[in-house]
Amino acid sequence: MTQQVLNAIFIGSIYALFAVGYTLVFGVLDVLNLAHSAVFMLGAVVTYSLVALHGMPFLPAAIIAILVCGLLGLLIEFVALRPLRRRNAPPISALISTIGLALIFVAIVEQATSGSLFSWLWQDGANSVRFPTGTVPNPTYHVAGLTIEGTKLGILIISVVLMLVLGYVIRFTQVGRALRAVAENRRAATLLGINVDRIFASTLFVSSALGGLAGLLFGLALSDISPYIGRDQVELKGLAVIVLGGMGSIPGAVLGGYLLGLIEVFAFVRFGSNIEAGVAFAALFLVLVLRPQGLFGARLRERL
Amino acid sequence: MDFFIQLFTDPVGFYNQHELLIAQIGINAILAISIFVTFYSGQLTLANAGFMAIGAYTTVIMSLYLPTPLPLNILVGALLAGAIGFLVGLPVLRLRGVFLAIATIGFVEALRLGVILNVPITGEGQGLKNPSADPLGGIVPILISVPIMTYLVWRLTHTRLGQAWAAIREDELAASSNGINVPVYKMVAFIISAVVAGYAGALETHINFFVDPTEYSVTRTIQILTFAVVGGTTNVIGPIVGAVFLTALPEIVRQFAAYRDVVNGVILILVIIFRPQGIVGRGGLAIIAPRWWTHWRTRERAAAAH
Amino acid sequence: MRTVARGIAIALALALTACGGASSTGTSTSNSYQGKTIQLGAILSLTGAGGVYGPSSQKGMDLAVEKINNSGGVNGAKIALDTKDDASDRPQSAQVAQTLIQQGQLLALLGPTLSNSAVAVHPLAESFKIPILAVSTTGIHIVPDCNYPKTDPCKYVFRDSLGEESAIPANIKVYSDAKHPKTGVLMVANDDKFSSDGGKIVQNTVAQYGIQLLDTVQFSKTTADFATPVTKAVQKHPDVIFITSLGGIPAKIMIEARKQGFTGQFLGGNGFNTAVVSKQAADSGKGAESGSAWYINNTFASNAGFVQAYRAKYSADPDQFAAQGYAAILILADAAKRANLTFSDTAGDRTKLRDAMESVNIDTPLGRFQFTSNHDVKQTIWVIQMDGNGGFTLVKSVTPS
Repeated sequence: MTQQVLNAIFIGSIYALFAVGYTLVFGVLDVLNLAHSAVFMLGAVVTYSLVALHGMPFLPAAIIAILVCGLLGLLIEFVALRPLRRRNAPPISALISTIGLALIFVAIVEQATSGSLFSWLWQDGANSVRFPTGTVPNPTYHVAGLTIEGTKLGILIISVVLMLVLGYVIRFTQVGRALRAVAENRRAATLLGINVDRIFASTLFVSSALGGLAGLLFGLALSDISPYIGRDQVELKGLAVIVLGGMGSIPGAVLGGYLLGLIEVFAFVRFGSNIEAGVAFAALFLVLVLRPQGLFGARLRERL
Repeated sequence: MDFFIQLFTDPVGFYNQHELLIAQIGINAILAISIFVTFYSGQLTLANAGFMAIGAYTTVIMSLYLPTPLPLNILVGALLAGAIGFLVGLPVLRLRGVFLAIATIGFVEALRLGVILNVPITGEGQGLKNPSADPLGGIVPILISVPIMTYLVWRLTHTRLGQAWAAIREDELAASSNGINVPVYKMVAFIISAVVAGYAGALETHINFFVDPTEYSVTRTIQILTFAVVGGTTNVIGPIVGAVFLTALPEIVRQFAAYRDVVNGVILILVIIFRPQGIVGRGGLAIIAPRWWTHWRTRERAAAAH
Repeated sequence: MRTVARGIAIALALALTACGGASSTGTSTSNSYQGKTIQLGAILSLTGAGGVYGPSSQKGMDLAVEKINNSGGVNGAKIALDTKDDASDRPQSAQVAQTLIQQGQLLALLGPTLSNSAVAVHPLAESFKIPILAVSTTGIHIVPDCNYPKTDPCKYVFRDSLGEESAIPANIKVYSDAKHPKTGVLMVANDDKFSSDGGKIVQNTVAQYGIQLLDTVQFSKTTADFATPVTKAVQKHPDVIFITSLGGIPAKIMIEARKQGFTGQFLGGNGFNTAVVSKQAADSGKGAESGSAWYINNTFASNAGFVQAYRAKYSADPDQFAAQGYAAILILADAAKRANLTFSDTAGDRTKLRDAMESVNIDTPLGRFQFTSNHDVKQTIWVIQMDGNGGFTLVKSVTPS
C-alpha cells in the first residue's frame, strides 16, 4: 500500500509541474493555453532528439530543450495570442487559436519519419520510444520493503524545488508583483505603467519552459515519448488539477497535482482501474459544484 | 481542389460519392445547433459529447434488446439526454464562465470513464454494434432535420424566450433584476441543448454501425465548440457554417496528404485571428484588422482632413 | 538462334515471376488482360494513432504493385492502387470507403488499418458487394461475421492478417509445452477494443494449458504511470504476465515490471510483434514471446526476396504490416489472374474476383498462404521472442491443422 502511495506522489509531481504552467497562464493572463500539452510533448521530443539522434549528454540536452520550450511559449504568444489582443477579440478565440497551434505541433511530430522534412527532430512518426538505456543513472533503492527509483526521486525533488522557487519569485520579487498586478486587474496594471505585452511574453516563456521540463521528466521516468503524450496523458488531468487546486493559484496547482495523483491511485486500488479516471472527474465535478474556487482559489472569477 | 470542381460540375455524382461525408456534416451541424443554444444564453457548456453518448447508446441498446421501431428509439434517446441534462444542470448551472465549462467537461469524462466503460450493457470498452444501421438511407432524416431545427431555433431566438436568453448573455445580473427568472431560462437552454445533442448522437449511430466510448470524449465537444466559434455565434447560421466548413476541411485539404493536420491547424488559426467573431459574425464580411492598422488609417484620414 | 532462345528464356522467366513463383492451380499464363488495368483501392491510417501501422502497410503494398507491374503485370494487366488516408478516424474511414467504392472502377479494396474502422467499413463493402481484404486487423468478429451480432457470414470480406484468436493460443501452447507455467496475471486496457478482445482470448485459453489466471488487471490506455497497475500484477507473483495492448504500452509494462523485480515470462499478442516495441522494451523485453504472422529472418525465397527488395527500396527493415500488405497484393493478383475478368462488367468482375480469392494458395513473405472457409487466415504461425536489442528470434513455427 505504501508503495502505491509513493507511486501517487511521483505521478502527482508530474501533474503538479504541468499544472503550474497551466495555472500561471490562466491566473495571470486569463487564457486557457491549450497548446501547453503540445509543449509538454515537445520538451520530451526535443530532449530525446538531442540525446538519441545527436548524441548529446542528457543534462545539456535537457537545458536546451527547456529553453526551446520557453521560446515556443513566445511563439504561442506572438502567433496565437497577441494578434487576438490587438483585435479586441473575445477571450474564447484564444482557446481556439491555441488548439490550432497544438494541432500543428502534434501533426509535425507525428509525420516526422526518417527521410521526411523533420527527420532531424524526430524519426519515429506516431511511435512510442524511450531514452536509450543508461541515459541517466537510475539506481533503485530498496528501503523498508519499498522500491524507490532514483529518477523518480530526483523528479520529486526537482519539482518541489522549482515550485518553491516559483512561489518565491511570485511573492517577493518585482516581476512577481507585476504578474500579480496584471492578474488582479489588467487595465489598472497598464495604468500603473506595467507593460502588459511584456508580462504576457514572460509568463508564457516561463510557463512553457515548465511544461517542457515536465514533459522531458515524464519521458525519462515513464519510458514513454511519443507525439501523443501531452494530449492523452496530461491535458485533461492538468485541467482537473487546476480546478481542484483553484484556478490561478500556484500552491493550489501543486497540491491539486498531488491530490489527483492520490485520488487516482486510491481509486485504482479500491475499485480497479477503469473507475480511476472516472473517479477523478467525478471529484472534479463535485469540487466545482461545492466549492467552485477550488481548494485555494481566493475569489470566484467569472470569465467566458 | 478536385473536391470543389466535382461539387460544381457534377453535383449528383458528388452527392453519391460523398454521402457519408454529407451525412456527417449534417450531424455536426445539428451538434453545432445544440451548442449554439447554450452559447446564445451566455453559457459555455461543453457537455454535448456526453449527451450525444446518452442518445447514441440508448438508441442502440433499445434496438438491440427491444422490438421498438427506430424513430421511437431515437426519440427516447433524445429525451433521456434531456432528462439527464436536467439532473446535471441542477447543480452545475449556477457556475459561470470557465468553471461551468470545466464542470461540464467533468461530467462528460465521468460519464465516459466511470459509467460507459463499466456497465456491461454498453459493451464497455468494446462498444456496441448497431445491426440496424443504414449508412446510405440514414442520411435522409439528417437532411430533413437540419433545416427544420435551424428554423425552429431561429424562431426561438425571436421569441420572449430568446430575448430573455440574449439579456442573460449580455448581463446576467441586470437581467435578473429586471424580473427574468435566470435559473429557469438557463436550464431550459441547457435541456434543449441536451435533447438536440442526444438526437444528433442517435442519428449518428444510425449511419455508423457502431457506438464506442472514444467517440464521446471531450475532444469531440471541443471540436463542436470550434464549429461554433469559427462559424460565429451571433445567430444560428454561424455554427452551421462552422460545422460545414470544418467537417469538409479534411476532405478539401486531402491533397496535402501527410501534412493535412498542419494545414488544418494553420487554417484554424488564420480564421480565428482574422475573423475572431466567426465567419458569420458581426462586422459583415470584413476581415478584422489589428488596432495599429485602424489607428494609422484614422490618423491618415485626420491628417488628410486638415 | 541464340537471341531467340534467350528471348524465350526471358519470356518464360517473366511469365514465372508474374505468377509470383507460386504453385498455381492450372492458371493460364496468357496475356489475356493485355492493356487493361486492375484498379484497387486501399484505405489506410497514414496519420493519427494508426499512423504507426498504415505507412508500413502502404510500403509493402506499393512494393508488391511495383514488382508485379515490372514483371509483366497480371496476365499483362497493370495494377493501379489508389491509397487514401483515413486519419485513424472511423467516420472518415467510412466516408473514404464510400467515395472510393462509388467512383465505380475498383475491383477490390484493402484495409482499413484499425479494427475500429473495419467495423464501419467492412459492412459497407459487403453491402456494395465489393471484395475487401483486411491487412492489419487481427481482432475478433472481423471475418466472417462482419455484421456481428448478426451471424450471417459476410461473403466479400477477407483478411490476410493473422487473427489474435489463432496467434494467442498458439503462443500460449508453445510456451506451456516448454516451460509448464502454473499461474498468470492478465493485464488489459479496457478502453481499447483490440486489447479487450485479446484479453478475452487469453481468459478463454489459459485453462486448457493448466495455467490459473490469478487476476485480470485492467487499466486505461491513457495511463501515464504504469507503476500502479503493474504493482498489482507483480504482487501476485505469477509465472506469466499476459499483455494484450498495442502501441507503447507493452514496453512500458515490461520495463516497469522488471523494475519491480518481476522475473517471470511475458506473453503477448500482436502488440509485441514490431521492432519498435522490441527496441522500446530493450533488455526488459528480452525473452518476451508472441505469435506472429511473419518473421524477418525466414530464409525461404518468398520472404528473402521480399526483405531484400524492401531494404533496397526503403533503406529500412520491413515489419509485419509491410509483409501483410505485400502479401495482400500478391493474393489479389493471383486471384485476378484466375478470375477470367471481363473489365467491362465491374459488378460481375468483383464477384468473380471474390470467388477466385477463396481458392488462393500461394507463397508469400508470411509463408504458404490460404484462406479458410471463413475467409480467415490459414498460415504457419511463427512464435517469436524479443532479443533485448530491438530484434527477434524464432522460437518455433506452428503449422495450421
